[in-house]
Amino acid sequence: MALFLQLAWLIPTLPLLGCALITFTPLRHSKPASGWTAIALMLLATVLAVGLLAASAQGLALREGQVVSLAGDHGAEEHGAAGEHGKGEQHGAFAFPEPNLVQRIAWAPTGSSVFAMGLYVDTPVAAMLAMVTITATCIHLFSLGYMAANARQSRFFSFISLFTAAMLLMCMADNLLLFFMAWEIMGLCSYLLIGFLFERPQAYRAAIKAFIVTRIGDVLMLLGLVYLYTQAGSLTLGVNEGEIFNPAFLERIGAERGFFGLSHATGIALLLFCGTIGKSAQFPLHVWLPDAMEGPTPVSALIHAATMVAAGVFLVARTYPIFLADGGAALGVVAFIGAFTAFFAATIAVAQYDIKRILAYSTLSQLGFMVAALGIGGWVAALFHLLTHAFFKALLFLGSGSVIHAMEATPAIERIHHHDEYAAQQTAQDIRNMGGLRAHLPWTFWTYTAGYLALAGVAPFAGFWSKDEILADAFKGGHWIVFSVLTVTAFLTAFYMTRQWRLVFFGNFRGEHPVVFENPEAPRKAAHHADEHHAGHQEGHGIHWHEDPTMTAALVALAAFAVTAGFFNLPFAIPGGHWLSDLWGQEALPFSPLVAGISLLVALGGIAAGWTFYAGAFTRAGDADPLATRAPGLFRLLNEKYRVDELYQASFGRLVALLALFWAFIDQILNRVIDGIGQITLFVGRFNFIVDDTLFNDGPDALAGGTVATGKNTRRAQTGKAQDYVGYVFAGVVVLAVVYLYVLRR
Amino acid sequence: MTAAVPLEAVLVVAGALFCIGLFGALSRRNLVGVLMGIELMLNAVNVNLVAFWRYLEPRFITGQTFAIFIICVAAAEAAVGLAMVIAIYRNWLTVNADAVDSLKG
Repeated sequence: MALFLQLAWLIPTLPLLGCALITFTPLRHSKPASGWTAIALMLLATVLAVGLLAASAQGLALREGQVVSLAGDHGAEEHGAAGEHGKGEQHGAFAFPEPNLVQRIAWAPTGSSVFAMGLYVDTPVAAMLAMVTITATCIHLFSLGYMAANARQSRFFSFISLFTAAMLLMCMADNLLLFFMAWEIMGLCSYLLIGFLFERPQAYRAAIKAFIVTRIGDVLMLLGLVYLYTQAGSLTLGVNEGEIFNPAFLERIGAERGFFGLSHATGIALLLFCGTIGKSAQFPLHVWLPDAMEGPTPVSALIHAATMVAAGVFLVARTYPIFLADGGAALGVVAFIGAFTAFFAATIAVAQYDIKRILAYSTLSQLGFMVAALGIGGWVAALFHLLTHAFFKALLFLGSGSVIHAMEATPAIERIHHHDEYAAQQTAQDIRNMGGLRAHLPWTFWTYTAGYLALAGVAPFAGFWSKDEILADAFKGGHWIVFSVLTVTAFLTAFYMTRQWRLVFFGNFRGEHPVVFENPEAPRKAAHHADEHHAGHQEGHGIHWHEDPTMTAALVALAAFAVTAGFFNLPFAIPGGHWLSDLWGQEALPFSPLVAGISLLVALGGIAAGWTFYAGAFTRAGDADPLATRAPGLFRLLNEKYRVDELYQASFGRLVALLALFWAFIDQILNRVIDGIGQITLFVGRFNFIVDDTLFNDGPDALAGGTVATGKNTRRAQTGKAQDYVGYVFAGVVVLAVVYLYVLRR
Repeated sequence: MTAAVPLEAVLVVAGALFCIGLFGALSRRNLVGVLMGIELMLNAVNVNLVAFWRYLEPRFITGQTFAIFIICVAAAEAAVGLAMVIAIYRNWLTVNADAVDSLKG
């Protein structure tokens, strides 16, 4: 067991090695070889991560190379830790468990001190690592089948391996700078993978949008880190002197006032939370996540559902003592943003047709749940929901991938595929064109159902327990607004998931006459109409449906977790109950039958409402949504996502365009100025040239020429004739005589 | 006799003689002619010296001595000069002063 602690550094290294192997060796020429390499390394990392979780669950820790046991059982450990650090009494019941592993290497000497960075593993991190490696392995496996048709599959594996390495490193980072670096690598991978099908304008635009929107949050987060560094002089996690969770330090930044009358702690916390808003796609920076669905489906599952978007939640969880330092002033904002996003996104999801976009808005909504949970002090509940959500949302995305994969093989869509690949994919993702897939895709159906029930919050599936815990936290803490908003959201969640589930898997197959996606950027080769006429002859049973074995394997593995992940933190006082709470050294919430009843009722009510509302809806793909016929205005508003994108386009987009115009104008002026300077320089150069040419070039030239000419002329006097010389002599005598007689004699 | 012919007249004759000699020395093409011009100039100087002795300091013989010396030098000069003329003739097969311009370098 102790071995797993010593080998913890391998967990992020192995996927990184996978990325390097696939990128730099001839492996990249073979799609299956690169895929299996990545999967093998991920499996190894998974074994190590699960082993690490087991070791930390046993209370083993590594101290200066020696394996020691933290205090006996976890309850005692928590009290010991809290008492020892004196934080438990100060800021509610919250204290981090003691780290199981801290390994640091000197990274950059900064004059008087050394900037160290390394790994910091405590029990929440160990649980995160296990979750990330398991989902990532499943998604790697799924990609083997799903991406097989893509010519750049090796590159895909390289990217997702790099991403996984960054995510694991971020979880294990022992200081916030390393955390931020890994965070940005994830941002890069997200950008690369959203734009993976970069032949499509929509894909690269979505990639750029995701990059820029998250960057807004990241810049503010970086400011928060700088702020924290100026206060603490360090970004290292830990409670010791000079580390950021030092109780004395937290007390000081909680008390001292900084900008706008906020305490330092609140200022830092709010800036850090901006990073969360960007990365976890909370309102108002949520706009990038639905567009990120342009990436391949495994990417949506891994990055935009299970791991990277959860990193924002993890950031708040990781820096929670700072949020609490001021008595939780920043947490009000956190709770508000979270609850609002949860509700806001859930309403949008009700009116979407794209199977992946529904899941994307659902992800936004669930992330809102987690953020809201953090905001009301439900630290365990938030992380618990993060873990369970990762499993069942990854499962749902992969299931949708399997559905899309099958849909793309239907004749009607293959015909569209001939002239417009993008429109074909969008058409294949439209739930109006599906229906009755239960019979054709049994594996996908059953696993999808497990994920659906988990997300809808039906006991005993994973989502029920974690969502219930969040609601119980809100209920017990007296946060009535958050509680009621989240309860309504839970109802909406069950409703829109039932709508999707029913439209995809039940009823009759409507894909022979699909609602064809109108691609504004379609390659203008053929008209859609001609193809649609031929589609009439196809029958559902004539279609060759198939499910890829690797994809199915991944689905089954994730479905197992979607069913069972909730049992890790059962709210009952039985052996094994409150396992995660105990593991993380937190106080467990007593079971509340009232909240559990409400939660279950709401979920079942949502399902029943969805089931009856959509009974008999969509006999043909072109039918109107029942909601659209009853409340067309509302449906349109929701379908267009409250027109937030358009609002941003009209406000920030236009502002940026105006700024760009202004800068273009400034640029013009600068251009003129620089042109003028150029002209002056030219003139001076011309002048210099003239001076140089006449004075310094022609002058000596003339001197030399004159000397030569004088020589030439003087040479004539030297005739070589003695008589001439004598003549000169006498001329000289005459001159001397004249001088003597008429000048000197005077 | 000294009163009948004033010193100036003798000096004018000597000057004229010198000028004739100079002209001959500078303008004659024949080297022998040049030598003859030089003899004329030397003798003009002799006339000068003798005239100055006779009219200004007849008690001393300095002027006559100078004249004797010059006659000696003129004799030596004529011997050397004619020898050079013969040598030049042997080399160039001419005694034309213009043709002998190897001093030009």
